[in-house]
Amino acid sequence: MMKRLWMPLLLLLLMAADLFLGSVSLAPADVWSALWGNDALDVVYKIVWNFRFPKMVTALLAGMALSVCGVQMQTLFRNPLADPYVMGISSGGGLGVAFFVMGSSLFSIGQRSVPWLFDLGTAAFSWLGALAVMLLVMAASRRLKSNMSLLILGIMIGSAASALIGLIQYFSDAPALKSYMLWTMGSFGNVTGDRLLIMTALCLSGLLLSVYNIKDLNVLLMGEQYAQNLGISLSRVRNRIFLATTLLAGSVTAFCGPIGFIGIAVPHMARMLFRNANHRVMIPASALTGACVMILADIISQLPGTQSVLPVNTVAALMGIPVIIYVIFKNRAVDL
Amino acid sequence: MSGILDILDVSVGYSWHKPLFEHINAQLDSGTVTGLLGPNGIGKSTLLKTIAGLLPPLKGSIRHGEGVKKNDFCAFVPSQPLRAVHFSVRDTVSTGRYRYTNWLGMEDREGKLIVESVLERAGIKHLADRNSASLSDGEYHRVAIARALVQDTPLILLDEPTAFLDIANKRSIGLLLRKLAQEEDKGILFSTHDLSLAMEHCDFFWIMTPERELHRGTPAVMKEQGIIDRLY
Repeated sequence: MMKRLWMPLLLLLLMAADLFLGSVSLAPADVWSALWGNDALDVVYKIVWNFRFPKMVTALLAGMALSVCGVQMQTLFRNPLADPYVMGISSGGGLGVAFFVMGSSLFSIGQRSVPWLFDLGTAAFSWLGALAVMLLVMAASRRLKSNMSLLILGIMIGSAASALIGLIQYFSDAPALKSYMLWTMGSFGNVTGDRLLIMTALCLSGLLLSVYNIKDLNVLLMGEQYAQNLGISLSRVRNRIFLATTLLAGSVTAFCGPIGFIGIAVPHMARMLFRNANHRVMIPASALTGACVMILADIISQLPGTQSVLPVNTVAALMGIPVIIYVIFKNRAVDL
Repeated sequence: MSGILDILDVSVGYSWHKPLFEHINAQLDSGTVTGLLGPNGIGKSTLLKTIAGLLPPLKGSIRHGEGVKKNDFCAFVPSQPLRAVHFSVRDTVSTGRYRYTNWLGMEDREGKLIVESVLERAGIKHLADRNSASLSDGEYHRVAIARALVQDTPLILLDEPTAFLDIANKRSIGLLLRKLAQEEDKGILFSTHDLSLAMEHCDFFWIMTPERELHRGTPAVMKEQGIIDRLY
């Protein structure tokens, strides 16, 4: 029982810490008061509700989404190194953003001139890029019977998108390049208002679809042949998993940039902590673990008490790599 | 005993231009154990996969009992069934009840009783809560057979179920298959290279010879006709 309870409690604790800690030092009593709607201290109220709260919710959603995606990709491909971006979602999103950033500089829709349009365009093009890659992979999945062939195809599509991004970067001017580089570093700070609502709706749809995938994922863990013998349509299940991945990882990439590491490492952490690969446990366990890790990464990236902020992508990677190395050395092999 | 499988002039393989084995005609009855024998590469596994619907027949047709849907017709146990780490034996067996469980894959009260009963019949009740990855090959083969059993199909196909097992485990799997045929009226078809195991437990042999001929009959008749001696 304790095993099941400590993780939600830790998550609540981290969520609170993310609200109370930040670059600007605020008195805990003022933050508490602002959280209960007291806007006597206008600045504190604005910092808590306009910046810290949306950022915390974004980190929560991103952690859950990427981890749940990672579990599904690792099971589908029976590959412990698969992550949400293995099918090229991140590269597709990156290509969409590169097109937009490059195009917007031509039409003078820069980050400085029309910031809201620039941010919205970045998210929309990233999502479209990810969707385009996923549609390509889904079309191919009708013809390719083996998941391994599909994995290779996904990696190829991702590589092609990366090559095109390189080409676009080569012809971009310095401000466009800078905008693109900032997007690749990942940030939870820009997701507020309507954007947060859209991201929440997309992520919740993806999470619900992932829950619906649980039954098939448990069978896929024992191989495609077994799934086929049970009468499961592999292409239908794969497409459903791809759709969930696009909704989850595509949305996170669109609004926060490509957040690496979480999707690959957190499922292993959840397996290590919960010791149950049944997806009825793994999906919620990964969502919880992912949310905890992402919020912790967000707290650290804010460097509480200082004026500096680190890229969340870097912090997440530095936090998780030791865990994965520990898992490898402890278990001798990372397996599903 | 009743006919549950009719194979009519079937060719199997991976390419239309180069079938592995052609003109296969055979029948299989419920309550019997049939051993599929033949040299390596002759197409035993391909034939089993074709019967299981995992590969399409290149030619001919495979008919099963009336009123039985294609996917409810047979359970297939591969030679090395994949196992998941941190997945309990009970959960592994329960996945075989895919058609009967709810949208989350959870069993109702009756389903749970069925799984427990199958665990008991397969002699793995004491392993029910163990991590599948921690079992020996012999134990996991029993789990795979139990998983096939809960699929509740009239026919169970097994591809070299004793390939990696020691003598004691081979014998125990053979006895289990025999029991399933006799007590539960299942039709069992399994490929093997182990002639003594097949002689001990099979009612019939299907022998695929290098001349691309399929011989069928009881072990005694096959031996009498010298087909077994020519093969080994």
